[in-house]
Amino acid sequence: MSRKFYRRGSHVLLALIILINGYIIVLPFAPSIWYWWQAKSNTTSDGKPLSVKEASAKAAKEEPEAFHADMSHDGLVIPRMMLDTPLVEGPEKDSFNLLNKGAWRLPFASTPDKGGNTVIAGHRFSYTGPRGIFYYMNQLRAGDEIGLWYKGKLYLYSVASSRTVKATEVSVQQPTDDARLTLYTCTPLWNPTDRLVIVATPKGNM
Amino acid sequence: MTDKKRFFILLGLLAASLALLYYLNSNAQNILLG
Repeated sequence: MSRKFYRRGSHVLLALIILINGYIIVLPFAPSIWYWWQAKSNTTSDGKPLSVKEASAKAAKEEPEAFHADMSHDGLVIPRMMLDTPLVEGPEKDSFNLLNKGAWRLPFASTPDKGGNTVIAGHRFSYTGPRGIFYYMNQLRAGDEIGLWYKGKLYLYSVASSRTVKATEVSVQQPTDDARLTLYTCTPLWNPTDRLVIVATPKGNM
Repeated sequence: MTDKKRFFILLGLLAASLALLYYLNSNAQNILLG
């Protein structure tokens, strides 16, 4: 091949390398812009997030109670994260597909109606789906409200703690005597070797 | 450096960049604890 081919080819390759590495570095930040933009219209006048009821009413096309009365409409509502996503259930072998459909309740964990430790996992960031459902989980603060529609009933929780653990730390999904909701996702964004874990305690049921 | 040598170095870097992107994306998809 000619010298001209290698010279032109080098230019194309260099452009592709810059493009791909720019994509790798910048894309994890991109959803933050969306959050910053949306947060303005999803907070009260004093800057606090909406309540679960307000957020559900805003997102729903019909009355939230009527919509979620259908058990196929189980969902997770977290106003601070501007999240209203379906709750999906299924075996661990299907987790890859289930996690792309919504927040996945781990099959071996408890359910809100039984008490114990209800564990829900969700994606945070990937290059094929930058704004994972739990992308903004690091925004959650102690006391923030979480709503879980389960079998037509709304269970309200309040964020109690937030911590980062190693991906091998399975204790967060073990059964507990007290009723709690555990949410976890990947962290940090680029190379998620750890897990960000939120534990929330019941506020009282509707 | 000759044009040919530069071309193949850049080709290698492009392959490494794609491999890094694939690795990071695969890691992000693997969420299970344990």
